[in-house]
Amino acid sequence: MSAKSMNTLDELSKKGLQSMYPGKIKIAVGMATCGLATGAQDVFDQLEESIAAAGLDAVLSRTGCLGFCQREPLVDVYVPGRPRLTFADMTPPRAVELVEALKKGTFPAEYVLCRYETETLLDETFKEYEQDAGDTDLSGIPLYGEIPFFAKQKKIALRNCGYIDPGSLEEYVARSGYRSLKRVLSDMSPEDVIDEIKKSGLRGRGGGGFPTGLKWEFTRKAEGDAKYIICNADEGDPGAYMDRSVLEGDPHTVIEGMIIGGYAIGASKGFIYIRTEYPLAIERLQRALSQVASAGLLGEDICGSGFSFEILIREGSGAFVCGEETSLIHSIEGVSPEPRNRPPFPAESGLWESPTNINNVETWANIPAIMEKGSGWYAGIGTEKSKGTKVFSLVGKVNNTGLVEVPMGITLREIIFEVGGGIPDDKEFKAVQTGGPSGGCIPASLIDLPVDYERLAEAGSIMGSGGMVVMDEDTCVVDIAKYFLEFTNDESCGKCTSCRDGSELMLKTLERITEGNGKSEDVDFLLELGEAVQDASQCGLGQTLSNPVISTIQYFRDEYRAHTELGKCPAHVCKGLIKYSIDAEKCTGCTLCFKNCSAGAIKGKPKQVHSIDPVRCTKCGVCLDVCKVGAVIVE
Amino acid sequence: MDQMGKEDKKAKSGAVMVIGGGIAGIQSSLDLAESGFKVYLLEETPAIGGTMAQLDKTFPTNDCAMCVISPKLVACGRHLNIDLITNSEIIGLTGQAGNFTVKVKQRPRYIDPAKCTGCGACTQNCPVTRVVYPVEKSELEIKRKDREIVDPILAKHKERRGSLMPVLQEINKRYNYLPKDVLSYVAAELGLNISDIYGIAKFYNAFSLEPRGRHKVSVCMGTTCYVKGADKLLQRLCEQLDTTPGGTTEDMRFTIESARCLGCCSLAPAIMVDDKVYGRVKISDLPKILKDYE
Repeated sequence: MSAKSMNTLDELSKKGLQSMYPGKIKIAVGMATCGLATGAQDVFDQLEESIAAAGLDAVLSRTGCLGFCQREPLVDVYVPGRPRLTFADMTPPRAVELVEALKKGTFPAEYVLCRYETETLLDETFKEYEQDAGDTDLSGIPLYGEIPFFAKQKKIALRNCGYIDPGSLEEYVARSGYRSLKRVLSDMSPEDVIDEIKKSGLRGRGGGGFPTGLKWEFTRKAEGDAKYIICNADEGDPGAYMDRSVLEGDPHTVIEGMIIGGYAIGASKGFIYIRTEYPLAIERLQRALSQVASAGLLGEDICGSGFSFEILIREGSGAFVCGEETSLIHSIEGVSPEPRNRPPFPAESGLWESPTNINNVETWANIPAIMEKGSGWYAGIGTEKSKGTKVFSLVGKVNNTGLVEVPMGITLREIIFEVGGGIPDDKEFKAVQTGGPSGGCIPASLIDLPVDYERLAEAGSIMGSGGMVVMDEDTCVVDIAKYFLEFTNDESCGKCTSCRDGSELMLKTLERITEGNGKSEDVDFLLELGEAVQDASQCGLGQTLSNPVISTIQYFRDEYRAHTELGKCPAHVCKGLIKYSIDAEKCTGCTLCFKNCSAGAIKGKPKQVHSIDPVRCTKCGVCLDVCKVGAVIVE
Repeated sequence: MDQMGKEDKKAKSGAVMVIGGGIAGIQSSLDLAESGFKVYLLEETPAIGGTMAQLDKTFPTNDCAMCVISPKLVACGRHLNIDLITNSEIIGLTGQAGNFTVKVKQRPRYIDPAKCTGCGACTQNCPVTRVVYPVEKSELEIKRKDREIVDPILAKHKERRGSLMPVLQEINKRYNYLPKDVLSYVAAELGLNISDIYGIAKFYNAFSLEPRGRHKVSVCMGTTCYVKGADKLLQRLCEQLDTTPGGTTEDMRFTIESARCLGCCSLAPAIMVDDKVYGRVKISDLPKILKDYE
């Protein structure tokens, strides 16, 4: 490591601190896809306009996602000498108010989500804020750590998301970015790096949970002239979006992780395989890559260490099976993206038959943190076999939806009821679906299950990429099982008969059940078929596609029985088994349902009781949604 | 397989030809031979066994495929009443049920079957495996306008390994679909088989072989969006635009698609128009959102 590159990092860091904490007001808007989808761009534009109009001396910048998607758009305000504040649920009119108040030296306290005393980075205090707020009383405003959504979280992979401008290399370096890379290149041998990762106990975050250090060691030891590194950003599981958030909020951590990995394995080329559905993430990655290349941290002879590495981006084109590693490799090669049998594993023979190491985005994001704080620190978090933290996307029927990073071993109850704030509208918690189409449903009775790779597998589900879809009493598990089978049946590449035809047959059976034509023996048939498909399929897709069916039968056999034997759908979801009618006593004759019914199934005159024609009713549920007096009954 | 004609009693040949040496052909040959017929088992490839010989397990019983098929292979090879005619195809068939004359073309094996031990060393060392025979360039003509678009894309990626996907993606972005003549041109330029390119183009959801609308509306069908009613949203959207999921409006303004997951689960249900994502979409919001796209 030359003295020059040391200086480069120090200089970058100085610039980064300057732009993160300028000597004047700084307003940062959370502008990941989730923020943008709720109108962050409008808020940003309004702020820009108001700041100019008011002549406020302030810097306006963009940042990634803080994770609290429920309260987006989020806006961060830093005023020198004051506590840092996060404002939630921002709108353009509120932005105007904010700028006006800042101009006067105050702030609109009613929109504040939380304030910060300190800003931490990997368990260490990174920045302290003074708690002087002038005339405004701070006591009513909770601290960051007092917000239930944040209290139980521990941010490692997401450590920079929402704190830095993802378009700024300087700010990443200021939060000790690329320091790990620098140390690795100057002080450590590749074997040392692999050893450190092995000791940390890090396991693949894409879902498989294979020990990362071991995988690296295999690839290092495999013989081959060229070796490759791949970052799997083909985040296909519906219900999971942590990879998108990391790439949009902190692309540099993934790049740094990959360069360290390349050095450890002896690879000179890396690919990032990313979904085409994530245009913003692709754009930010491209910008980040050109920044590091011009800073001399990527390319030929990185920092004078003699190690050269390049990273290329490859876009996927919408095929779920490409998240499977052998299929992904075929896709990069440009041949038909079907999976193949393993062994040989990609570590021996992967991309263009060379040793290849594939890790998921979240895994790569953990690498710089582990190298910085040491394996001992990382191994101290989590459970015996599952170390560190895991990012979950907590979504569905839960109050606080968003991205949460929690230590392994935390219970489902803590995640759903403390971090997630429970179920909306006082409904009953029914189950949580983890692991996407390859995972299973965990029922309310297992709410105290600690979350790690082993315990989830014992419960019949998987960790998967970290999707956590919460379901309440209004969700029908048979319908959910059918939904996942529709997905996997469509996405099956068709190579193995068991997967192609097995999923079709299971789907047909489930469709029959939800239409009300199920037979009592169907349930056992599904179980038997499910196990056969598991055993006889080549890749992960086929081996796991029956998990949603098997786990729901395991925990909710009664609900299946209600469908097949009693002809009822307890959650009132399956159209073939429900009937809509109007309660004559409650109906006020407001004609709302009549106007909204697209099937023309509702009859009635203004101020008279309406009725539904069961023959014409398509059971779309619009009448139920629009009725203001709750007169529509579903049975 | 020819059948014994019942009416035509005088001309039974007493021999049967089974065409195709997969598991079905092998089992039929064995059954027939055991019943006393002379069997000619004809197979196009150099060896009998077919697809089953390549499988690990069979569906749905999970029996080991080789354990099932290999005793039959051996029995077939040894049976005195079965003649294997491999590496062959039928070029003519005359006669009637009960008495056929089959004209068979047997391709040369270039190997003495009597001496071959089946070690497989020759296939591994053959220098001409995986040779692709591209379409002759002279057969292809595409419009000059297309060439102006496609040539720079090809030039950018041509020399790199694994260039096909980026090339198809850029063409797809430029034309909004993959025109057939352009694909043929790409095949010739990259030295690939057009059928391989079709196979790949059809595999991915993002590629289309049909022209698509100016704007793409993707309704997210991820788990969360589904739980929150995205199917109703899709249905209503299609009703409003008078088309079907996957279809394009008549004025070529919109193509409606259901997306796998847009990764905006916290904002379910979500839709994406071109590259812009809209979260927490209600059915009543749809006209307002679409109004901005001409």
